This record gives sequence, structure tokens and C-alpha cells, in this order.
Amino acid sequence: MICQRCKNEASVHLTERQGGKRHELHLCMACAKKAGLALPESPPNLALDSVVQSLIVANVGELVGELAELACPDCGIKFMEFRAEGRLGCPQDYRVFGRGLLPLLQRVHGATRHVGKGARKRPGAIQRLRLRSQLREAIAREDYEEAARLRDQLRLKDTHV
Amino acid sequence: MTLDDLTRTSGEWLRGTGPESDIVMCSRIRLARNLADFPFTNRGSRTEKTEIESHFRSAISAANLELLYFDVNSLSSLDRQFLVERQIISRELSGSEGPRGVAISSQENVAIMVNEEDHLRIQYMLSGFRLHEVWDEINSLDDQLEENLAFAYNPSLGYLTACPTNVGTGIRVGVMLHLPGLVQTKQIDKVFRALQKINLAVRGLYGEGSQAFGDFYQISNQQTLGKSEQELIRILTDVVPQVLQYERQARQTLVTERRQHLHDQVSRAYGVLKTAQTISSEETMLLLSSVRMGINLGLIDDLSVATVNELFIQTQPAFLQKLRGSELGVEERNVARASYLRSRLANGRMATGE
Repeated sequence: MICQRCKNEASVHLTERQGGKRHELHLCMACAKKAGLALPESPPNLALDSVVQSLIVANVGELVGELAELACPDCGIKFMEFRAEGRLGCPQDYRVFGRGLLPLLQRVHGATRHVGKGARKRPGAIQRLRLRSQLREAIAREDYEEAARLRDQLRLKDTHV
Repeated sequence: MTLDDLTRTSGEWLRGTGPESDIVMCSRIRLARNLADFPFTNRGSRTEKTEIESHFRSAISAANLELLYFDVNSLSSLDRQFLVERQIISRELSGSEGPRGVAISSQENVAIMVNEEDHLRIQYMLSGFRLHEVWDEINSLDDQLEENLAFAYNPSLGYLTACPTNVGTGIRVGVMLHLPGLVQTKQIDKVFRALQKINLAVRGLYGEGSQAFGDFYQISNQQTLGKSEQELIRILTDVVPQVLQYERQARQTLVTERRQHLHDQVSRAYGVLKTAQTISSEETMLLLSSVRMGINLGLIDDLSVATVNELFIQTQPAFLQKLRGSELGVEERNVARASYLRSRLANGRMATGE
């Protein structure tokens, strides 16, 4: 069956009843998504995601008041957003949200300390992460002079050669 | 080599070689890595993702890695689906937006996704049960990339990842097993429950959310923090042989108790695949699974396991459409699939593409 909005193959088939009348809708996944009608695709890591979600809720319950307002100065994500989405915003979040994350790590992994391969030391990464977030803010408020200055600074400090 | 050239080759991991390859289709390890000075992919701007892509591409050329890069953002949805079918990219990378890509080696052992959930998802696969070899390869690849990339890492939590379920080693160690014996003797659930008790995950051929498919199951670790890469590999190398033993026992039971029935099932499956004029993907998987087991039990002797392994991938929708060079509806695909199967299985032709 062909999508009613474009010529791709329809994979979303909906039947609606309105005032006793039956409407059928056949759409491809892309058009269905545009129309906000697509079923959520089965999330990757389904089991893990739900585990994480329930653990987050179970383990940070009493911290919510304090943690709710906590935001990462580098990427701007709030702990509450992590709680809802299950994904962190930047590497610094592990430090910023440490208190909220440790009980979760303990439950998911049965451990809170890394054992295994170590990365080589790369000084300056945090500084660059901060410069990048300042750059984003400068662009957002259309301060292009400041943005250009920050970009130059970033270029000087680049360690990815 | 272009993406279209891939229709004429197949990944090394389908060759059906290596230890225990009657049951272990392939061994696979992936490492999650992020660049220290960028936000994670879900928070990255378009410009930042483009920068990550270019840092990565510079790092592979600086390390003289012979990898072919595909800009996934500019690929059609058919081409993206084609890469998903080949296990080169995830559904997540295929379905997301913005600058992203994948670098692969010519034999498809290496596939490094860029701007997936983590900035880099490094994958190495080998046919058969060879996790230690896979680890040596991917560990060295990781070192070579790290020469020119600053990875997000802290000494107490290890490699930092977008989802806390991957933090630490960022490793997923897995094997893809063909378990038709355990499915047919209805013991598969028991095995899964036992694996889940020791914190191993079981998934289907196409990963996390998808259903097991052609009796293929991937078994992998879930824990990534608090155990070293070697320990996590050891868990798999300890447990998998037991699963292999159960599968062999199940097959033996089928042979001794239901030999005629089994032989009939395998022969009919082979017969249908060789002669059908139209066939669905589901039926193809089911029959290929019987044929694959039939070859390993000596009930079919004019067909190689490598050919059957390839056919699991090459009868998928996107592959068939790439081969035809046009988009096909379900009915047309079923006809194209049957025709492709007949041509590959005529006269017990051996595997192509080596």
C-alpha cells in the first residue's frame, strides 16, 4: 500500500472513528512522524532503558528538591532532564551530578569505580568544553564579535590534531 | 569502493570460519568513546557534530587506517537501511538526524559509527568464536584513534558515556549464536533465564529491541563499570561453551529421537528455498535456519554454511532493492527474493565474494 501523502510504501495504518464514520489513514514512517502519528520506534536498549529509568526514580527520590535545580555549567542540562531522558549532556555531568549518579551506578553495575583500560592524560579538555558552551551562548545572543574571539581561543587550544 | 560495491561482497564475519562456527556466527566487541571537549551527541549543535566528524576523519588518516567513510547524513533511507542490514550501523544512527557517519574496513570487520548515542561507537567483528582476537584488534584500533583524539575519561569512572549504563570500560562483548536446536526442543527460555541471572543480555540478530530472527541470538555483557575488559571477556568465554554444549545436545536429541522428521524438515526447507516463486522475509529466515542446521548435521552436503550465512543478510529488503537498483513494494520484493534464492542455490553453488 502506498502512503497517502507521498509515494513511499505505507507502513503506518490507522483507523479512526469520528461521529460514527470510519477513516483510514495509510502513511509511510516519515510522513507519519511529520504528522506526529508514528508509534515510537522500539527504543534501543529497551530493558536497560526501563531499568535505568526506574532506578533513577527510585534512587534519587529524596534528592529531587535539591537536585531538581542543579544544572551543568558546561552543557546546561538539568538533572531533572537527565532523569526524564536517561542521557547525560556532557562528560562533566558525571562530576556535577555525582551525588545523584552514584547510587544509580551502584545499582546498574554493582560498582562505582572503574577497573580496566586507562586513557592517556589530556589536559585542557574541560577548559575547551567551557569555551564551547560560551561560544554557543554568544551565538545564541548574536554576539558575533565574542563568538569569533572564543572560536580563535578554541582553535589555539585544540588538542585533536 | 562505493556503497553500491558492497552488494557484490560480504562481510568477513559471514564466512562461517573460525572456532565453533557451526553455532557461533561471529564474535563482536564494541567500545563507546566520546571526545572530552564536546557535549554528548544529543546536546551537540550541528557545527559541533560536524567538527567531531572532521576530528575523527583526521584521526583515521593520521593513523593511516584504511577505512572507508560514509556520510550517513547524505545517504538515502534505502542506503541507510542497507547498512543496518549488514550490521554496519545501528537503527538509531540510521534514524537520527544531523552530521553523522560510519567508517568501515573493506572486509567489514571494522565499523566505527560517528555521532551515534556516543561520539564514537567502535565495532570489531570476526567470524567464529574468537573474542580474544577481537579484543586485540579493537584495543589496538582504540589506541591508534587515541593518538589523535582526546577521549572523555576520568580515573574513577573510566570512559565517560552519554548513558550511565555504558560508563567505565564502555565495552560490549558479544557473540552471535545460531540456536535452532534449543528453540525446537523448547529449552531456549530456560537458557535465557540462566543468562539473565548472571547479568548477560540476550538480543535478536538486529540488536537491542528487535526480535530474535532466524534462531540467531546475541549474548553480551551489560555491566561496564567495575570489571576490566579482560574479566568481561572471560565471563563470555566461560559461559558461551556451556550454551554451545546445550545446543549440541539439543541437536543430538533431535537427530536420535526424530531423525526422519528432522531430515524431512531440512529437505523441505531446502526444496522450498530452491524453487519458490515468491517468498516472505519471515519464511526465508525460518527455512534458512533449518538449512543451516541441516548442513551442520550432515543432512545437506552440496551447500556451504557461508552461502547460507550470506543469504540471511542478502534476502533482507534493502539488499534486494539495491541489487535491483530500484525501490520495490512488498510483493515485488517477495518475487525478487525468491528469484535471488533460486539463483544462489541452483546446483549447490558455493559462496561468492571471497
